[in-house]
Amino acid sequence: MKLMIGGYAQGKLSYVLLKYQLSEDAVWDSVLPEETELRRKQRMHCVEHGVLPDQTAASVEPIVVNHFHQWVRRRLSEGECPEKDVQSFLNRCENCIIICDEIGNGIVPVDAFEREYRERTGRILIRLAQEAEEVERVICGIGQRIK
Amino acid sequence: MMVLVLGGSGSGKSAYAEELLCTLAGKSQTTKYYLAAMRVYDEEGTRKVEKHRERRKGKGFLTIEQPVRIEDALFQMKSGGKSVLLECISNLTANEMFTGTQIRPKEAVTACILRGVSQLMRETAHLVVVSGNVFEDGIVYNRTTMDYIYAMGEINRQLAACADRVVEVVAGIPVPVRGVNPEAVPDVPF
Repeated sequence: MKLMIGGYAQGKLSYVLLKYQLSEDAVWDSVLPEETELRRKQRMHCVEHGVLPDQTAASVEPIVVNHFHQWVRRRLSEGECPEKDVQSFLNRCENCIIICDEIGNGIVPVDAFEREYRERTGRILIRLAQEAEEVERVICGIGQRIK
Repeated sequence: MMVLVLGGSGSGKSAYAEELLCTLAGKSQTTKYYLAAMRVYDEEGTRKVEKHRERRKGKGFLTIEQPVRIEDALFQMKSGGKSVLLECISNLTANEMFTGTQIRPKEAVTACILRGVSQLMRETAHLVVVSGNVFEDGIVYNRTTMDYIYAMGEINRQLAACADRVVEVVAGIPVPVRGVNPEAVPDVPF
């Protein structure tokens, strides 16, 4: 797993797609896909491109989770526990690139939910960074390798 | 050379940018210009301008106030070599977007500023551009504000792509982001 972090509108997704030569097909927007969804998308990809399905392809081609912070926010607002979901996602999909906005460099919000959202996202990112083989921070479209 | 200097409020990015421009202009024997994009609306603005003027005093900058159409500042410059400090993209973007009765679309603002800055790049020996790092607070503002932030992000990215150096100033310390080439200007502090 690789982690990409950076501010809003800094070109994180373009940076990832270019660096790892991936297409938009690999991108999941603010969702951690289930196993069945991954397989369905893989089948669709095969049909569209006229290639034979390869059972191992899902583990070879990395998947990109974009706007990870929005997913965390949604899970929290649903009263769920994103930490648990992240762990099980990583267990079934080790070969992935997670892209998340830096959301913690502002004034601590007055609203309790907004505070919780920043704190929990920050803590999840720390754990992801510990597990990641690589962490990059993207600023102005430029990647800085920080792990 | 073209340098993009980023930083938060009160990070010391302006002081660093001034020092850098003085070094660059000194080596190339060019005239130093300070392009001020900020519009003064109130007393707080006046005080900020005073503070910046005071710090620049004695450094030999010629100040040009240019809140919009930044390339027009070239008309006010003398012929000969120029080194220019543009302060800053945050103000310039706000002015280009919110001047007039209607808010200009972010694409038009981005294109107009990038056109202006590239014209400055072509006509100057050295150009130092100051911009803010306003992208990391996680707040989803209203549409207009998000458009403004997006435009600034796009401008920063495009400028970074063609800059010789990108530097982020943190607590007064310049942290290289990209393109630090010690061969280019050996005695510019980093």
